[in-house]
Amino acid sequence: MTPSPELTAADRGANSEREWFEDLRLERHAFTIRRTRREGKVVYEWSGEITDPPPLRESGSLDRAQCLEIYRFLLMNRIMEQQLENLYKQGQVVGGVYFGLGQEGNSVASAYALDATDWMAPMIRNQGSLLVRGFAPRDVMMQYMAKAGSPTGGRDGTSHYGDLGPRRMISPISMLGDLIPVMGGICMGERLQGRNVAAMTWIGDGGQSTGVFHEAVNFAAVQNLGLVLVVENNLWAYSTPLNEQTKVADLALRARGYGIPAVVVDGTDVLQVYDACRGAVERAHGGGGPTLIESKLMRMKGHAIHDAAAYVPPELLEFWRRRDPILRFEQYLRQKGWLTAEAQQRLVAEVEQFMLAERAAAEASPMPDGNTALSGVYCEPGCHAVQPRFEAAAPALAAANGGAHLTAVEGDAPHLR
Amino acid sequence: MLLTYVDAIRQALAEEMRRDPAVFLLGEDIGIYGGAFKATAGLVDEFGPARVVDTPLAESAIVGAAIGAAYTGMRPVVEMQFMDFIACCFNQITNFAAKSHYRWGAPVPMVIRGPVGGGVHGGPFHSQNPEMYFAHTPGLKVVEPATARDAYGLLKSAIRDNNPVLFLEHKFLYRRVKEEIAEDGPAIPLGVAAVARPGRDLSVITYGAMVQLALETAQALAAEGVDAEVLDLRTLAPLDRGGIVATAKKTNKVLILHEDTRTGGIAGEITAILQEEAFDDLDAPILRLTSADTPVPFSPPLEAAFLPSAEGLKAALRRLARY
Ligand SMILES: Cc1ncc(C[n+]2csc(CCOP(=O)(O)OP(=O)(O)O)c2C)c(N)n1
Ligand SMILES: [Mg+2]
Repeated sequence: MTPSPELTAADRGANSEREWFEDLRLERHAFTIRRTRREGKVVYEWSGEITDPPPLRESGSLDRAQCLEIYRFLLMNRIMEQQLENLYKQGQVVGGVYFGLGQEGNSVASAYALDATDWMAPMIRNQGSLLVRGFAPRDVMMQYMAKAGSPTGGRDGTSHYGDLGPRRMISPISMLGDLIPVMGGICMGERLQGRNVAAMTWIGDGGQSTGVFHEAVNFAAVQNLGLVLVVENNLWAYSTPLNEQTKVADLALRARGYGIPAVVVDGTDVLQVYDACRGAVERAHGGGGPTLIESKLMRMKGHAIHDAAAYVPPELLEFWRRRDPILRFEQYLRQKGWLTAEAQQRLVAEVEQFMLAERAAAEASPMPDGNTALSGVYCEPGCHAVQPRFEAAAPALAAANGGAHLTAVEGDAPHLR
Repeated sequence: MLLTYVDAIRQALAEEMRRDPAVFLLGEDIGIYGGAFKATAGLVDEFGPARVVDTPLAESAIVGAAIGAAYTGMRPVVEMQFMDFIACCFNQITNFAAKSHYRWGAPVPMVIRGPVGGGVHGGPFHSQNPEMYFAHTPGLKVVEPATARDAYGLLKSAIRDNNPVLFLEHKFLYRRVKEEIAEDGPAIPLGVAAVARPGRDLSVITYGAMVQLALETAQALAAEGVDAEVLDLRTLAPLDRGGIVATAKKTNKVLILHEDTRTGGIAGEITAILQEEAFDDLDAPILRLTSADTPVPFSPPLEAAFLPSAEGLKAALRRLARY
């Protein structure tokens, strides 16, 4: 009855399984977490070697300006979260705060791979993606502070907001997995209007166990929808380790069950994340259907600010501390000669300054007026409704993509390249 | 055109799809097969498989996809093969769609339609009336027509509405009621009850297939000198409070009849509204006649014992008339 006691980060899968996905990684992590009993207490124990990571995998598609822009977003993400922690400790946050420490590279580089006409929907740790999509740090802060000026006017918290306008961002709900079919539907709606777009969202190693994940990925596969699903395998779902979540060593392998392509990346390598996501986005634009990307990384803090994560073996944290996505990217930029030490210090100072101003703006926003709670349950006449924009080619495109699966019944493993 | 209730639904779908290219359908077996009850028969031939989408068997994915499409400006109409299966996508409806506009201002113009109700020996999983799970959820509209003309006109309004609308079709009525309906006829507004039979002595407030039972019983009681008014709610959320209060003030005696089970049924809510807004006008206690608080049983004699009956309604109305 007890689940398998071993948590093997990545390398348990047989080679035959690996043929079902593309693997961009330059290293395979070899460590094991074992559930054991020590001095009468049940604990997780680490075994393995704490190694240093290789350099980043050269992208070839990102130029200097883009890399520096990504780097700035990474700094903003991290420094913003430091400010959030600070605000929390000062009692200015309503409820908890969630962090993406160690996952910033994944949040930023994936969102950066989208075009402005694509859509995305963040999960709670993807605060960097909000910045890439054009929300300001003050929006993120006000949302946590439940202020009148927050994107939801205080009606919801955390990353629960969106914009059907230029930022094309769908608000998540707390229930994990339920964003995935909605993002498929975005592609369906756009295709009916004559456009193939990519719709990106993220899901955790925990969220991937929900029923709706499976329904939605299968649905997107059958309907050939441009879903770009980034599975953030950060080894923990709250306090539950990976091996108590699934028997599959590589979560990317699940894509095989839906007949769609998958890629595995090192989630602390910004360039791998970008390349995999950009490839998936372009496939979506070409009407090629969904892609699953498994990003292997580590949640470097507790589940939320209240959780000290005492259950995580310290060696595991040390292993991943050496794989800090921002430091790794910094080294890459240095080596390329794209970022001098001086320029880097200047940039950090500038972002810190900017963040203080954002924080001041967030603090200056009042709390909402209680009376505003009562309106807006329904969108009544006069409320803004979204108008579709049909392209001339809409029917043909919809018919071609929508019916594509009907002719593909013979195609075993069409994603194998 | 003389249309049955289910024909009227198909007619409304076709006309709305012709009128507005944003309207499209998705559901299980709705295309070439035309739906389990043939509500969408032939529509795939006119509108093509991109707008009449046969989906995998996955209610959360179907409703989720409809929500996503609605965010892009489309107006999806989802068919639940049986409304009982709506339990499988409860989260998408109550947490995703219902709260969307309130939380972040994003409207979800979506209709979820399909057959509800008993009387056809469908058993515990093909006979339920799930309206109150949803009428209880702020942000949703819940509609249940009792006539072919209302099915047609209310569905048009539901499709044009900017909110998620649950459109409950009583399967007992699909082929049992028929009406003359003009092509491209008017939409009937949501949230407005209809007096299905005017009367002076007492009021039966009801909806769905129970409207038929109420009308037949009112007819029978007329011979005994009891003139019953029948109010067809048509929409359960938002409720027509004005229409409810008006009939109570007119007849001063109210019985609420529904096929849904008793505890937590809409009768309780209506009773509270009347206590608040028409207490001084009431000459009798408010009565309820509902299904029993059990799952819907399968065998015909068991189901008959579960459902409100003509005899039960007659007895209750006679009691009410004596006050
Ligand atoms: C359907 C559902 N069940 C439970 C929760 C409570 N919950 C929130 S986050 C979380 C852990 C999520 O783990 P994972 O999906 O791996 O994402 P991570 O936090 O590691 O980024 C849980 C159990 C939830 N939000 N949704
Ligand atoms: Mg996780």
